[in-house]
Amino acid sequence: MNNLVPALGFGLITASVLAVAAVGFSLQFGVTNILNLAYGDIMTAAAFIAYLITRAGLSVWVAVLVGAIFGAAFSVFLNRMVYTPFIRRGTRLFGMIIVTIAVSLIMQNGLQAIFKATFFSLKMSHGRSYHFLGMIFTGAQLGIIAIAVIAMLLIHLLLQYTKLGKAMRATATDPDLARSCGIATDRVIDVAWALSGALCGIAGVALVMNITSFTSTTGGQFLIPIVAAAVLGGIGQPYGAVLGALVIGIASEVAAALISPDYKQVVAFIILIVVLLVRPQGILSEIATQKEVVA
Amino acid sequence: MSLAMQFYLSTLLIYLGIDVMACWGLNLQFGVTGLVNFAYVVFQAAGAYTAAVLTLGPSSGNGGFQRYIGGTHWPFPLPIIAAGAVGGLLSLAFGAIALRRLRSDYQAMVMLVMSLIATSVVTNQEGLFNGPNGLSIVPKPLASVLNLSLNAYQWFFVALTGLFCLLVYLFVHLVTGSPLGRALRSVRENESAAAALGKNVAGLRLLAFVSGGVIAGISGALLVEFISAWSPGSWLFPETFVFFAALIVGGAGNNFGAMLGALLVPIAFLEATRFMPAFGYPGLVDALQWVVVGVLTLIFLWFWPRGVVPERKRRFADAGFSARHPRPEPPAVSVAASQDQSPVKSESVILQVRDLHRDFGGVKAVDGATFAVPLGRITGLIGPNGAGKSTAVTMIAGGLKPSSGSIRFLDEDVTGRASYQMARLGVIRTFQISSEFARLTVMENLLVAAQNHPGEKMHTVLLGKWSWRHHETELLDRARALLVRFDMAHMEDEYAGNLSGGQKRLLELMRALMAQPRLLLLDEPMAGVHPTLARRIEQILLDLRDEGMTMLMVEHELQVVERLCDPVVVMARGRVISRGTMEQIRSDQGVLDAYLVG
Repeated sequence: MNNLVPALGFGLITASVLAVAAVGFSLQFGVTNILNLAYGDIMTAAAFIAYLITRAGLSVWVAVLVGAIFGAAFSVFLNRMVYTPFIRRGTRLFGMIIVTIAVSLIMQNGLQAIFKATFFSLKMSHGRSYHFLGMIFTGAQLGIIAIAVIAMLLIHLLLQYTKLGKAMRATATDPDLARSCGIATDRVIDVAWALSGALCGIAGVALVMNITSFTSTTGGQFLIPIVAAAVLGGIGQPYGAVLGALVIGIASEVAAALISPDYKQVVAFIILIVVLLVRPQGILSEIATQKEVVA
Repeated sequence: MSLAMQFYLSTLLIYLGIDVMACWGLNLQFGVTGLVNFAYVVFQAAGAYTAAVLTLGPSSGNGGFQRYIGGTHWPFPLPIIAAGAVGGLLSLAFGAIALRRLRSDYQAMVMLVMSLIATSVVTNQEGLFNGPNGLSIVPKPLASVLNLSLNAYQWFFVALTGLFCLLVYLFVHLVTGSPLGRALRSVRENESAAAALGKNVAGLRLLAFVSGGVIAGISGALLVEFISAWSPGSWLFPETFVFFAALIVGGAGNNFGAMLGALLVPIAFLEATRFMPAFGYPGLVDALQWVVVGVLTLIFLWFWPRGVVPERKRRFADAGFSARHPRPEPPAVSVAASQDQSPVKSESVILQVRDLHRDFGGVKAVDGATFAVPLGRITGLIGPNGAGKSTAVTMIAGGLKPSSGSIRFLDEDVTGRASYQMARLGVIRTFQISSEFARLTVMENLLVAAQNHPGEKMHTVLLGKWSWRHHETELLDRARALLVRFDMAHMEDEYAGNLSGGQKRLLELMRALMAQPRLLLLDEPMAGVHPTLARRIEQILLDLRDEGMTMLMVEHELQVVERLCDPVVVMARGRVISRGTMEQIRSDQGVLDAYLVG
């Protein structure tokens, strides 16, 4: 049981990274209805960019910013150049899964071909450590939590208080109706990809700030917990995704501490399967629907 | 041929045989039945581990350098057969959990995650199959008995693989070419329509899933007996993607396409290059191979989404039908089921609905509907939009379970029965939105509707074509008579997806009649068709009634109802507010109010 409190600390950091990634994933999936399985590999690509930036002697916080910009630009590019053309051509649900897996394979192995299949780590200072209720955080880890909180707040403000946010929620609920109400859904979809990509890039850099080393498959391995958090929260429900991320992040670290680190991922796997089979609409969807009806 | 060349060639042939076999199994699941089994390689792995431990002997007997469960020395070919059995059993377990009604991308996700879980468990539970290092030095089958040279043994293994390929081909060929294969494809095209025609969708999907699992298990066994080693690294998730890529490139739904795909993707791009001179740093070629496979898949999905050899169109020989039935005179083939199958006990009422309720999360779609459908008439079901007519019909057809209330058909309580069970009792429905099996021909759409086809049973299928051909010929005659009657004979070999909207409505009706219903449920059979065609459908329905067919019809056009239906049931807000002849209903103030308000 002595491991439990530190595990909660690790869980909180994992959950922060996961929350940023899952909100991005959920937002994009909700608006565009494409289950983008290359999401984790975009994270990896952002991580490699961060690696290059920190190697060049720049601060890791610059890397976070560049990672966000790269993620946004690349996601919009990917959607415009690959996904949307396939959808226009009539590729449907299952076909799109194959397309996104193909993209994932190409990216993962392309990165491996460029950077070689070895371990990489960011060149950065982790700062002094802080003790807090028995949990220990480095400065960098507190930074990750801060980034997550700020990103979530910005997304919240954007979705709730801007016209763009409303247009996005409308498109997520019913794209055809939104279009006939005069919402430029194509532009909304671009924005969704950009926003989701930016979060993906941030999460990618944050992920490798938190672990000692990474490879070309790191982001891909992180994909299932992301999907699990997004699905658990209800697809297209950013607040649900945050909740899902907290549950999955903390549950997997606690399981790692109590059972075995080997089964860290399995917790997310099992949660995802159970949710998909029992309640594919996620835990928060009903509350959210009611809220939409009232508002 | 030099010995090295022989070795190279025979190795490739063995890999090819194994991959072809695996692709046939996946084709049965994905290409034919539409199941997105992203855990396919797990079943191959299960077969491989099974065969390995059954050949290796007890775990302690090899110096203890590898630990595993269930080690014994079984003689060839028992380990391979057991591998097939394990692949099938594991499929049964996976299928029971995962083959729910989920969006196909969610289902793919469930399977993918199950594949990752399997890898994780086998890697981390070292006592199971020696953990991440896996099993090695698996003895080759009959190697000690035959005592052949290395190359001779290679060719022996080629022959062995060929033999298993032949067996598997025979199986998939029999299945895909049979009425069972047709039923599987109908499930792929439209689940609910297949169920409404009496197909046990869950059963058929599981059948295809388990059959594919057995084949995957056998392919895994051969693989491990050949390469002598097996570890979690051999069956990571991307390996499943290779099989899918092979099917997409070769042509899903076509056994030759699957074979060609196996030749192109796993062999030409992955295996053959292993013998090429390596360039760059170690691992570069591997990474580039995967990039190529990904790009290849995208290119094919873009330019040839049906693959190099698309699914074959099934045409049916005209066994002298047109000679026996010259076109101008439609043959007098009755479409109604003979009513003596089970006598109707209570006087002339075939269906009785009592106090039927159905809620959708608080919305009361049907709220206490009670009505009866008399034998041999067309009962009209009318009412304003949202009255609950379609929901009521769907419940009668078994597509939805009632929240409460009862449905009696032929004096039997059938409340809450599944769609396919209702269809087998003779309650056949048509859908408001055309529900044709798009990539089946018009003729196949009709044939698939036939009830009790012996060719849809696996044991009959395995006996060969002659065991069901006779029945099929009779059905062909009946279907052609229907086509002539509906003036659609020229469209027999057209894909149903290519028909016009009106033709699809006709097909929907013909398909329902092909099932020889005792009660035909029609949900707006004339919705959205040209007025001329609507009149024709009307006449057809009248003729059917005169031949003794009982119908319950949801319809909006009151003039049509007036001409066809007696009695008429009026629903509003989930309740029956009036019933009688159209004339009586016209004078009912409550009905007028409901229409004006609703």
